[in-house]
Parts: sequence; C-alpha cells; structure tokens
Amino acid sequence: MTRLIAVRLFFGALTLWAVSLVVFAATQALPGDAAQLILGRDATPERLEALRDQLNLHEPVAVQYMQWLQGVVQGDLGTSFSNRRPVAEFLASPVQSSLTLMGLSALVATPIALFVGAFSALRRDRGFDHSASMGTLVVASIPEFVVGILLILLLGPGGLDLFPSVYAREGGPEQWVLPVLTLALAVAPPIVRMMRATMIEVLESEFVQQARLKGLAERRVLWRHAAPNAIGPVAQVVALQLAWLAGGVVAIEFLFNFPGVGKVLMDAIENRDVPLVQAVVLLIAGIYILVNLVADVIGLAANPKVRVANR
Amino acid sequence: MPTLPEDSVPVMKNLTSRRSLLKASAAGAAVAPVLAACGGGDSGSGGGGEGDPQQGGRLRVGVAGGGASDTLDAHDPTDNVDIARNFALYASLMRFANDGTIEPYLAESLESNDDGSEWTLILREGLTFHDDSPVTSDAVVHSLERILDTDNPMRGAGDMPGVDPEKLEVVDERTVIIHVDEPLVTLPEALAEYYNCIVPVDYDPDSPIGAGPFKYAEFVVGEYSLFERHEGFHIEGQPYVDELEIVNFPDDDARVNALNSGSVDVISQVPHTQVAIIEGDPNLAVMESETGMWLPFTMNIEEEPFDDVRVRQAFRLIVDRQQMVDQALAGYGQLGNDMYARMDPSYPEDVPQRDQDIEEAKRLLAEAGYEDGLDVELVTSDISAGVVASAEVFQEQAREAGVNVSLRRVNPSDYWNPEEGFPYPFGQDFWSARNYITQTAQGSVVGAPYNETMWGEHEEWLEYLTEARQTPDDDERNALIRQAQEIEFEEGGYIVWGFVNLLDAHSTRAHGLEPAVSGHPLGSYAFHTMWLDQE
Amino acid sequence: MSGPSTSTTPTAPVRRRTGLFRTAWRFGRTKVGVALAGLIVLIAVVGPFVAPYTPTEFVARPFESGADGTLFGGDNRGRDVLTRFLWGGWTLLLLAGASAGLGVAAGTVIGIIAGYRRGWVDDVLMRTNDVLLAFPQLIAALLVMSIIGPKVWLIVAVIAVSHMPRVARVIREATRKVIEQDYVKAAEAIGLPRGRIMAVEILPNVTSPLLVELGLRLTYSIGVVAVLGFLGMGLQPPTADWGLMINENRQAMAVQPWAVALPVTAIAILTVGANLITDGLSRAAIGIDRGVEK
Repeated sequence: MTRLIAVRLFFGALTLWAVSLVVFAATQALPGDAAQLILGRDATPERLEALRDQLNLHEPVAVQYMQWLQGVVQGDLGTSFSNRRPVAEFLASPVQSSLTLMGLSALVATPIALFVGAFSALRRDRGFDHSASMGTLVVASIPEFVVGILLILLLGPGGLDLFPSVYAREGGPEQWVLPVLTLALAVAPPIVRMMRATMIEVLESEFVQQARLKGLAERRVLWRHAAPNAIGPVAQVVALQLAWLAGGVVAIEFLFNFPGVGKVLMDAIENRDVPLVQAVVLLIAGIYILVNLVADVIGLAANPKVRVANR
Repeated sequence: MPTLPEDSVPVMKNLTSRRSLLKASAAGAAVAPVLAACGGGDSGSGGGGEGDPQQGGRLRVGVAGGGASDTLDAHDPTDNVDIARNFALYASLMRFANDGTIEPYLAESLESNDDGSEWTLILREGLTFHDDSPVTSDAVVHSLERILDTDNPMRGAGDMPGVDPEKLEVVDERTVIIHVDEPLVTLPEALAEYYNCIVPVDYDPDSPIGAGPFKYAEFVVGEYSLFERHEGFHIEGQPYVDELEIVNFPDDDARVNALNSGSVDVISQVPHTQVAIIEGDPNLAVMESETGMWLPFTMNIEEEPFDDVRVRQAFRLIVDRQQMVDQALAGYGQLGNDMYARMDPSYPEDVPQRDQDIEEAKRLLAEAGYEDGLDVELVTSDISAGVVASAEVFQEQAREAGVNVSLRRVNPSDYWNPEEGFPYPFGQDFWSARNYITQTAQGSVVGAPYNETMWGEHEEWLEYLTEARQTPDDDERNALIRQAQEIEFEEGGYIVWGFVNLLDAHSTRAHGLEPAVSGHPLGSYAFHTMWLDQE
Repeated sequence: MSGPSTSTTPTAPVRRRTGLFRTAWRFGRTKVGVALAGLIVLIAVVGPFVAPYTPTEFVARPFESGADGTLFGGDNRGRDVLTRFLWGGWTLLLLAGASAGLGVAAGTVIGIIAGYRRGWVDDVLMRTNDVLLAFPQLIAALLVMSIIGPKVWLIVAVIAVSHMPRVARVIREATRKVIEQDYVKAAEAIGLPRGRIMAVEILPNVTSPLLVELGLRLTYSIGVVAVLGFLGMGLQPPTADWGLMINENRQAMAVQPWAVALPVTAIAILTVGANLITDGLSRAAIGIDRGVEK
C-alpha cells in the first residue's frame, strides 16, 4: 500500500517536471522577444538592449530554463512583464479568490449531489430516479460556460434581474451566486451518478441485507450502515471533480469577470505576459496533478481488494 | 503676433464656430437633453436643477482601463487611469480648454519673441504645491530637465525639439526664459500636455507631489487610488469635493454595473451597447463629447500597391463613411474627410466631403492595373474601441469594388512590433486630438515615431510644413497648414473616415461635467469642476 | 495463408457491431438524442442556404433589436443575427467532428499498440499518456493558441491531441481483453504479422468501446470548440461561428439577448442530443450506465 502510494507520488513529481518542460518550451516559442513585448510602443534600441540584459535573454535557452526552474522550486516565479511585480506576490490574491470560488462551489454541490444520488438509489427505477438521471445527463452534457450564460439570461439583468452578471470589486455577496451556481452545476452530475451506483451496490450487499433482516429501521440502515461504505468511491469522484474545477474555472471566471487565476491567465495571454502565463499554467497543472493523485490514493485506500492484496 | 495667453490665444477667433458646432451636433444627437442638463458650465445656467456648486463629499470615479502597470509618475503616464490620476495630481503651465484652445494654467503668460526662438514664461502669483511649498522658476526648470533628460527622455521630450534644458534661464522667482535652438511655435501646445506637468525640485514619484487640484492619499496598483482636496489650488473655490477616489475598471460591464448600483458616481467611456441601459435609468445620465480622436486606415506609400496614388485614392473612395460611423461606432462619431487635426483652427472645413464612389474607385484601380480586382491584407488589432469593427466594415465595403481584403488580427501588445511586420503595408491606428504641426511630428514627418504611411518626403508638402512651423503669425500659418492638408487630402496615405464621440456617464447626483474635444474622457478628467449634491 | 485465418475468426464480433445500433435504438433516450442533434445539424447544414442575408452584410445599427427586415435584430456590428446564426453552425460541427475523429483514430492506434505489444512499448506510451493527461484540456488548448495564434488546423490538432490519451486508455483496456480470446491466439499461432493482427483481429473487436468513445469525444469537442470561440481563441471575426457569436455579443445580453441566446441554445441542444446518443450506445455496448466524464 505505502509502496504503491510512493510510486504514484514519484510519477506525479515526474509528470510535474515534464509539464514544466513543456510549459517553458511552449512559452519560448512565442514570437518576438520578451524585451520587445514589454516595451511595446516605447521600444528604442537602447532601452531594448538594456532590458534584454536585465532579463538574461542573452543566455542560452538551457541556462534560462535552469534558472527558471530553480526559481520555481524556490517559489520565485519571476517578474511579470506587464507590471514588473513578482509573479508570486501578484498571484496571491487571485489564487485566494479562485480557491474560495471553487471551495464554495464544492461545498454547495457535494451535499446536494450526495443526497440526490442516495435518494435515487433508494427510489431505483422510479420517477425520482429517472428524472434525476435525465437531469444529470442533460446538465453534464452542456458545456459549463453555456450553463453560465443560460443562468445569466434567466436570472441576470436581462431576465428576472435577481443577481448581477459581472463581478465587481465593491459588489456585495449576491454577485457570487451565479458563478458558484454554474460551477456547482458543472461538478454535481458525476457525483450524483457515482453516489447512486455505489449506494445500489452497497444496498444489495450482504451485510446491509443482514441489517435489514435484523429489523433495523430503513433510515438507520441507510445512513448508519450503507452510506459509510459508499464514501470511498464517492470521495474519489469528488476529488476528480475538484481537479477538473482547476481547469474549468477559466471560462467561468472569464464569463463573470471574476478576479481569479483564470482571468489572470486570459489577461496574461492578451498581454503576452510570459512569466505570468508560465506560472498560471504550471499552477493549474500542478493542482490538477496533485488532486488527481489524492483521488488515486483515496481510490486505492477505498478499494478493499488493493487493501487486502497489500497486507 | 506672439502667442499672448492672457487674451486666450489667437485660436480664439475660431472658438465661436467650434462651440456652435459642438452644440449643433449635440442637439441632433440622441443624448441632447442629458448634455444640456449636465453641461451648463460656460453659460452657468445649463438645464434645470443645476444650481450653484456645492462643497464637500467624496467623488467616486470609475475609469476604463488600468492594471498591473499603473504608475503615478508625473511624466510617464500611459494608461487611461494613469492619465486620470495625472490630471488630478498635477498641473501643467498651459492647458487645453474644452474647445481645444490653449489657455494658461499655472502660467500667467507665455510669450515668444518675433521669430519664436525665445519664450518668456511668467508663473501665476501665490501658487503652491501640495506640501505648501511655492511653485517657483526652479521647479519649472527641474520639471523640464526631468522631461528632457537625454539619458532617460520622458514622453514629452518629443514635443519640444530644440528646447535645450541647459539653456533655461531663471530670471526671478516667477520668470523663466526658454531659449529654443530652432523656432518652435508649438511650445504652448507642448506645455499644455498633461504629461509635461510641473513638479517640485525634490520630486519623488513614490510620494508624488504636484500642483494639481488633488493631493495624494492612497494608491493600490491595479485597483484604486484616493486623493484629498488641495486647499492651495490656484482656481478659487475649486475643487468642490473633499475627496476623490479613482477606481480601475478594465472591464466594460463591471464599470457600468458599478454606476448602476451606485458604487461610483461617474464613469468614463460607456460602451455603445450600454447607452440604452443607462438612459433607461432616471438616476443616470450620459454625456456625449465630440472629439478630434481619429482611427485611420494607414496605407504605406512605399509598399505595393499603395505606392500608386490612384490605389490610395480608390481606397478612400471605397469607404462609405456614414456606414462606417454607424456600424463601427454605432453612430457616435463624425464623418472624416481624409484630413486629421480637425480641432486645429486651420482645418479646411471648405474642402468638399469625400463620399463613397465605387465606380470611380474601380476606374482608378483599373488605371493602376488592377482591373481584375486586388487582394490586400489589412492588419488590425484591438488597440482602441472601434478599430477592429472598422476593419470588418471596410472588408465588407471593399468587396463591392472588387477588392478582396483579408484581415490579419494581431495581439494589441504586438501591434507596433517590427517583428509582426510593422509598419504594415495596410494597417490601422488611433490618434487623440492634436493640432496639425504637433501631429505631423508624431506621425507624418520622416523619422516620426509612428509614421506608418511613410509620408513626409513630399517636397511641396514639406515646404509648407517647414514654413508653417516657423511662422508665428496665426493667419499666415493657418493658410500654410491648409495647403499642406490639401496635399494630404489628394495624395496622403491615411483614410480618415471619422472622428470618435466619447460617451461618459454619471449619476444625476454628480454635476459639473462638460464635454471636451481633447479625446480624454470626462472633459479631460476635469475632476476639479465636478461636484456632488449634498443632503 | 492468411486467407483461411481471416475467414474463420472474426465473423462473430462483426455481427455484434451491427447489433449495437439496433440495441441502442431501443432506448427511448437514443431516439430523443437523434431528434435533438438532428435538428441542430439540420439548421447548421441547411442554414446557409435559407439565410435571408449574407453573414457580413449590415442591416441594422449595432445591437438594434427591432430593426426592419430582421427577425432577431442586429449583432455587435449590425449584421443580421438570424443569418449569422444560420451560418455559424457548420464550422462548429466540422471542427468538432474533425478533431473528435482524428483524436479517436490516433488514440485507437496508440491504445491497440500499447495493449497488444505490452512491455516497454506499453510503458513508454502510457507514461507519455499520463503527461498529456496531466494538462487540463482547456488549459493546454489555451497555452498553444496563445503561442501560435488561433488557426483552424491548430484548433483541430490541439483538441485531437487532448483526446488521444483518454481514448488510448480505454482502447488499451479493451484490447487487453480481446487478446485473451482464442481467435487472436490462433492468429498468432499461424504466424500472422503483428500489424495485421492488430488491424484485422483486434480493431473490429473493440468497435463497441470505440463508438462510445467517439460519441463522448464528439460531445466534448463541441464543448471545447465552442468555449475556445467564446474565449476569443477560436475562429476569428468576421466568421459567423456560434462560439464567437457568444463572445462578440455577450456584453449586450441585456439589450439584445437573441444574439447570445440562439447560439447558446443550439449548443446546449446539440450537446444534450449527442450525449443522449452516446449514452444509448454505451448502454447497448456495455449494458451499464456509463455516464459522462469531464
């Protein structure tokens, strides 16, 4: 068990390194050189030359990569081209905002999804189950930015005018509603499905049947005996959905003008701010890999076969 | 006649026609009632309920743009929000009035000798910086030295060719003589630019001190800045508000929302799409300002096919200017006539408006050897609102004349990058309002920083321009400029299809906004004239 | 020598494939899916022929909602919203179809090779897969688009590449099950070349997961192509494209909702339809509710 986790961790680290290589190589391929990009309309040959020195652009690419990687490991992500501030410092607040948004969405989505999934399992092949199954299928099919726009059209200023459709620094808490709702809808369906499938399996298992035979109340059977056994696989799906959120949040932040890492990425792409693009992509890929790893480990821990096999 | 500021510059004589033009166009526009209600500055009456300015309160302003590269440096503002803060913090020696004329600001007078080679500047009496120290000749000299520093020239250096910082002569506390190596009739204009403002001798951008209407209190890069009333501001009674908060709003929707929800009182640059929303709210109003800002197509006269003047004229005839203004600017603009510097008193209003003439365009193209049609690439970029839109409209209009335009869209930050191919054979640009001579120095003479049309070698044109630059008499100079303008009208490389109207918005609680032609929003960010209803 | 072996072995599986569609059709949701997706495909294909204007003609003021001669008003430039809606679908379908097709084809090849060859080939391919999988699809697409610039072939390539590892994983699993079968062992015993075994013996027997995968990837491709357009990183103006339409007109959603509502609804219906079909196929193929992965 421990060995297996160690192997996964090792591959996770290896993948992260490969990702760093890809990100660096990709941003090196950007047309034009960084100094030109920074100075833009103010570029004079002298200012260009001075800036190239300052940015180590005269060094060979391999040296630049090593310097960059070394910095990344030490938490120094370089200096943003457009604002000349350290990237790490600049990213602190957007990262916090994004994490809050993702956390709130998970917090809203998970309990509801678990309940709907469990209830569907209990009402298997009846009305509730069918509508829940159809509902999750429909919601899961639609790209999340489309879900967001449909919500805006329905509840935003052009529709019922209940919630604002863009985020502003001095706005109130109601501006969180639509982004959170969109993301919650995006992550919920797989959780519902997994909860339903797992609960059906558990409910049919011998020991639940035994509990029933003992004459325990159905509610007690469900919540005290069945549900805990569904936690493992469901936790894995929840973790996978969180990993998906790391990437999926970009379009949603763009849509709602939410000041998180996704919006920073879009702005950085627009400004050709290479260090910022590198940092954000690496960050998102890093979170993605890490959470996937956690999901893997949960999966291993929850799977009795693996647990037994490694004893 | 040397430029005598006290009787408000020779440009005065065109003032009436400019003003009436502004009003006439405003009356025709959809937002006319709003204009009347919130303008009212020059007549003092305005619409109903304007009343006398009231003192106090915090004016909260949402300005378009801003971001990580925000700066408070007096002489190096670039972004819109930087410019807004610059107008709040600092003051220049001269300033552009709302109609585009030049008037003294910190200066009491600025006079040249007969040939424009020596300028005498006299400061107003009793001026103070935010730290209560007096504004002296030494501060003027220091500011000019900082701008013209050869090691690190600031933006304004290009406006003052021939001004040698070593040859500034301090006569007394309030008098400076500026010696110019070559005659420079445009010095008052240069000194009226906001980025050529006056700072104290010990100026430090980290705790910025100026002589503008508001003094520095707080500043968070990329977010907002806060200012307090400068008690010693030289215009009696102004500014009216105690505090000024300038908030960055790079996103259009967020800016309009902030006004809607009352979290700011005034916003700059309302997108065309949102005008209807604001007009539908009785607590909000839109201010439309006719400006001299232009978004030309640039034809490089050294590159095929634009090295042939017939092709250039054909392209100018392809443009349906009314449609261009209607579709690309949603109607919020004025027609252009392939000449720029529209607010310059010399602007030749009498030259007949060039209209779309597809037949003539086809004939010219055939004459130039393109009877079977022509393929061109137009490089476009989202460098200013309306630029990409006008490219798309042109693409559609050109089809009729058998010209197949392909669009290449470049990232805004790469647009002026030579590696992208700048200056492009066929591209675009945006320019704010400038007078003719200053504008040519930026974009039309050989060696100008943004000479995208590679214009400037035309001998006859150059003669007129050179002579105009050295002619202190306004009538004579304007006549010369008109000659130069007409040459560009017949042969130049710009397609000037229109001038942009700016749209700003404010809550009806805020007063004292007046439209200005400068192209800077909110009447050139005239925060000192704005005031709030006090309960 | 190869003659008899091919004739003896793969008959049974082929019958299974033809049955897949028939089985899938029995599910009501498949029929609904075909109806929904069919409607949108019909609009996308027939649309350009019945559009009242050309997609770049100016017929109204920008964002004018009740302009004469227009059903749904003008868009951000004053072009006819209905016309651009009718024109904007086929690009989306074409790009999504091409990238899903390419991605599934490449993934299948890799999956079969990895599953059949095992050993170091399998290791190398699957490790590379893991690295590719480590990039969230959209982030990878954005990274590449921002570097090279939005080009049509690049959109297809990036999405195809991001599908590849996911498809490869599934097909590899399926292949491993197939190679345990007698007919594969028989073919090996006869000494058929590996390439031939993979193409003739294995491929026809992984068609069920392959078809399900194709449906899944197609649904996902539609989403990615649309979101790239929405982020301004897909097709460029003045192309009429549903994703781009949403991007161009979203700031005026409150005054001119049609320019956004039409393409958004179409994309929603299309993806739901495609996913219902996929769901039907997967139920038919595996007999279980496969669900949708992100």
